[in-house]
Amino acid sequence: MARSRKTSRDPDLRRWLLTGTLVALGLALLAFAVYLLRLDAEVQREFAAVRWVLPAQVYAAPLEIYPGAPLSIGDLRRELDRLGYREASELLGPGTYVAARNDLRIDTRRFAFWDGVQEENRIEVRGDAQGIGTIRVLGSTQTLDLVRFDPLLIGSIYPSHGGEDRVLVRLNEVPPLLPQTVILVEDRNFYRHIGVSLRGILRAALANLRAGHTVQGASTITQQLVRNFFLTPAQTLHRKLREALMAILLERHVSKNEILEAYLNEVALGQDGPRAIHGFGLASHFYFNKPLNELQPHEIATLVAIVKGPSYYNPRRYPQRVLERRNLILKMMADAGLLRADQYQREVAEPLGVSRGGSGGAVRYPAFVDLVRRQLAGLYPEEALTSEGLRIFTTLDPRVQSDLENRIQTDLPEIEKAHRMAPGTLEAAGVVTSVEGGEVLAVVGGRDVGYAGFNRAIDTRRPIGSLAKPFLYLSALEQPQQYTLDTPLDDQPVALKLPNGRVWEPKNYDRQLHGQMPLYQALAHSYNLPTVRLGLNVGVDRVRDTFARAGFDDVPAVPSIFLGAIDMSPLDVAQIYSTLAAGGFRTPLLAIRAVLTQEGKPLSRYPFKIERTLPEGPVYLTTWAMEQVIAQGTARWASSVLPPGQVYAGKTGTTEDFRDSWFAGFGADRVAAIWVGRDDNKPTGLEGATGALRIWARLMRDLHARGLDPTPPADVEDALIDPASGLLADAGCADAQALPFLRGSAPQQYAPCANAAQSSSPLNWFEKLFKK
Amino acid sequence: MRRKFSALALALLLAACATEQGRVSTTTVQPPVTTTPDAGAILPGAGIVGAPGITRPSPALPNYPKSIQDSGATPGVLALYRQAQEARAAGHADQAEAALERALHLDPRNPFVWQALADAHLALNQADQAEAAAQKSTSLAHGNPYVEAGNWRLIAAARQARGDSDGALQAQARADDIARALAKTP
Repeated sequence: MARSRKTSRDPDLRRWLLTGTLVALGLALLAFAVYLLRLDAEVQREFAAVRWVLPAQVYAAPLEIYPGAPLSIGDLRRELDRLGYREASELLGPGTYVAARNDLRIDTRRFAFWDGVQEENRIEVRGDAQGIGTIRVLGSTQTLDLVRFDPLLIGSIYPSHGGEDRVLVRLNEVPPLLPQTVILVEDRNFYRHIGVSLRGILRAALANLRAGHTVQGASTITQQLVRNFFLTPAQTLHRKLREALMAILLERHVSKNEILEAYLNEVALGQDGPRAIHGFGLASHFYFNKPLNELQPHEIATLVAIVKGPSYYNPRRYPQRVLERRNLILKMMADAGLLRADQYQREVAEPLGVSRGGSGGAVRYPAFVDLVRRQLAGLYPEEALTSEGLRIFTTLDPRVQSDLENRIQTDLPEIEKAHRMAPGTLEAAGVVTSVEGGEVLAVVGGRDVGYAGFNRAIDTRRPIGSLAKPFLYLSALEQPQQYTLDTPLDDQPVALKLPNGRVWEPKNYDRQLHGQMPLYQALAHSYNLPTVRLGLNVGVDRVRDTFARAGFDDVPAVPSIFLGAIDMSPLDVAQIYSTLAAGGFRTPLLAIRAVLTQEGKPLSRYPFKIERTLPEGPVYLTTWAMEQVIAQGTARWASSVLPPGQVYAGKTGTTEDFRDSWFAGFGADRVAAIWVGRDDNKPTGLEGATGALRIWARLMRDLHARGLDPTPPADVEDALIDPASGLLADAGCADAQALPFLRGSAPQQYAPCANAAQSSSPLNWFEKLFKK
Repeated sequence: MRRKFSALALALLLAACATEQGRVSTTTVQPPVTTTPDAGAILPGAGIVGAPGITRPSPALPNYPKSIQDSGATPGVLALYRQAQEARAAGHADQAEAALERALHLDPRNPFVWQALADAHLALNQADQAEAAAQKSTSLAHGNPYVEAGNWRLIAAARQARGDSDGALQAQARADDIARALAKTP
C-alpha cells in the first residue's frame, strides 16, 4: 500500500505504469488471439468430426399383398393407416391413398429393403371382405403379383441409460417449406448475419428491458446450433460470449446451408421417456407417423412451434397451447408469402393431427424391441447399435402384435372380474411365432403393453407345470415297441424317496384317482400320477434330452421335471412348442431378418435355420394327443371359441397352489405361449384352463390361425381301437376309435367285440372296410 | 358324432389312397418293426420307408403336382419363386435364398419352395441347411414322388459336399428308385 503511494508520485514510474498497461493490454490481446485461435481450431475440429449419434432404426416385417391374399380391403386400409398413409380425394404423392368400397388406389412409398428396392408405385387394389382380388398399375393394363409396402418403423436402439435418437435428413431432401419456416420463425436474418445478429440482440434487449425479465432470446440458428453442439446449457456470461464467438468462427468455415442442415438434425423436439427426440426427421415420425417429405404445411408449422420449447410445447400434453402457436406460425407463413391466402385458410382449419403416443418410437412395441436389442447385443457392439444408424429389419408382424396386445388388455380384467380379484392383480405375457420359420411375430411383456419396463415374456422364469408333459410323452412315444397312444397307464398313487431323504408324493389336480386309461387320455386330462409313473419308466435323462432337442437345455435332473418343475420364460416355452409345431424341426427363434448399414448396404442376413431334432412320427402322435387336450381334455373350453372344423393342439399348465397359469399351443401356421400370474408370485386361484387358455383361444381365433394339417406322415397309420380292451376294433365294435400308430406298433390282436376276432392279420379290417 | 364319423371315413379313404405301398408291405408278414428315432436321420417322413433297394411297387399315383405351378401356390409365391429361379440361373444364390424366404413367409408349407431353398443353400455351400430344407420339403410333400425324388438328389449332393460318400450313394439310390417307379407308372 505504502509503496504504491510512493510510486504514483514518481514521473518515471508513471511512464513505467503506462508501458506496463500497454504491455498488459498487448498481452491480453495476445491471450485473446490465442484463445480465439484455439476456439477456432476447436470449432473446426468438432464440426468436421461431427458424427451424428444415430441409433439403429428398427423396422417391422413389411406388409406384402398379392391376388388371393386373405386380407380384406378394410384390413388393408387399416394397415395403410398404421403405416401413416393419408387418405385423400386424389393421389397426392407417395403415402396417400384414395378409398372406394371395394377398391383402393394407393401411391406406395419407395423403400430400400435388404434384397432390393421397392420403387414408388401407383396401384389400384380391388378386393372384398374375403381378401385381395387384383392389383393393377394405375394408368396401364399391367397387373402385379406382389406388392411389398414400406415397413413400419417401430423403434430405435438408443443407449440403455437414455440418449439422443434421430433420423438423419439432408437439406435437399426435405420439403423446402420446412427450412423456410424455420428461418422465418427462428432467425429471419439467417442468410445475412455473420453468426450473431446485432439487430436481434438489440431487439431482444429492448423487449427484455421492457418486461423486466427475459422474454425473448436473440440467438441465431448458428448460435443455437453451437450451443447444442459444443456447450453446456449453463447460463453464464462467459458461456454467452464463447457461444457468440464460436458462432462467428463457425460461419467462417461452414456454409449457411451446412449450418441449416446440421440444425435441422440437431434441434431437440421432444422427450420420450429416456429417449431424446432430435431433429425434424425423427420428430416427423414421432408426432405424425410418416416421413418428413409427406408433411403438410400445418404439420410443418406444428414442428416449428415445438422448437421453442419441446416440453412447454408438447403437443400431446398441451394441444391447445401448441395449436395456438401453430396458427400463429401459419399466419407468419402467410404474411411472408410462404402460403397463399386460400392455403392458409385451409391449413389453419386443420386439427393438430398428432398421432397418439409413441408412434415411430420405441414405446410402440417395447417388449419386442427389447428382444431385438438382446438378440443384437450378441452380434454387434453396443456402440455400433446406438450410434451408426444401422437399419434393423425384424420379424414383428404389427397385426399379430396388436391382436396379442388387445387380447391381454381385454381378457385380464375379465378374468380378474370372474374370479373376484381386485383390478390390476394379474400380470400376463405372451409370445407368438410362425411355425415354419421360427420367426417371432409378437411379444407382450405385461398388461401395460406400452410400458418399456420389466419384460415378463423374457425375464419371468416360472415353473411350467403340465406344459412339460408333452415332452415326457414324446420321449415315451419315441419307443414304439414299448409305448403307443393306446398303452394303458395306471392312475395310482406313487411315492418317491428323494436323495435328500424326503418323500415326494404327487397328486392329481382334482385329488381323485381315475383307474387305468390309455396313454393319450392321461395327457389330454393332464393326470399327474400316470404321468409320473410313465416318467419313472422312461427316465429323467431321456426327458431332459427331449427338452434339449426341442430347444431348451436348462432342465434339472430330478423327477419333479415330469410335472414341470422347470423354470422357463414364455419365450422359452414358445421355442420348445415351435419345435413340436414344425413337426420336429427346430429353429432357433429369431426376431431379426437382416441388418443394413446406414447407406443401405447389407451387413448381414439371418436366414431360416432349421434342423430335424425330433422324429416326425412320434411328434405327430404327441401332437395328436395334444389335439385331444382341446377336443376332450383340460382345454375343452377352447372349442367354444375356436373356429369349428379346425384342429389345434395345445397344453394347459398350472403350478403349485395355482401360482402360474399357462397355455401353449399351435395350429398350422402360428404358435402362441401365454402366461398369467402375479409379479409377487402369490397364488391366483387360476388353472391353465381358467386363465391363460382364455387368452390363447381367443387370440388364435383373432389371428385366423390355420388348423393343423390332418395328413399323417408316412410312418404313421391309423387303427381302429376298442376303448374297452385297447385292442383292434372293426365294424362289430360300437365305440371304436381311430388312433394313429407308428407303422407296425398298433395292437395285433382283435378285441372281443370285433367280427374279425379270429383273423390273424392286423389290417384285415382295413381291407374289409373298402371291399364292401 | 355323425360328423366325426364321416370325417373318420374320409380320413380312412384318404389313407387308403395315400399309403398304397403301406398296404402291400403290411400284408407280407410284419414283425413289430422297431421304428427307431434314428430312422429319422436318414429321411423322416419319406414316402418310402423300407431300406434302400426295395423298389416301390408301381402305384396308381394320385394327382400329385409335378411343379409348383400345379401346387395351388398363390401368384405372389409364384412370382417370388420365378424371381429366385432367375437369380439362381444368374449365379446369385444369395438373392435366390432371400426371395425364397419371402415366398415361405407367404406360404410356409409349400414343398416346392422348400426344395428350391435347399438347392440355394447347396449353391451357397450350406450342406447341412440344404439337407434339412430338403427333409422339410419331403415332410410337407405328403408322399409326392416328384418332390421326393428331387429332394433325395439334393440330399445326395449335400452329403457329397460334406464328404459323406456312402450317405450320398444311399440317397442317390433312393432318388433312382423313385425315378424308376415313376417311369413304370402309366
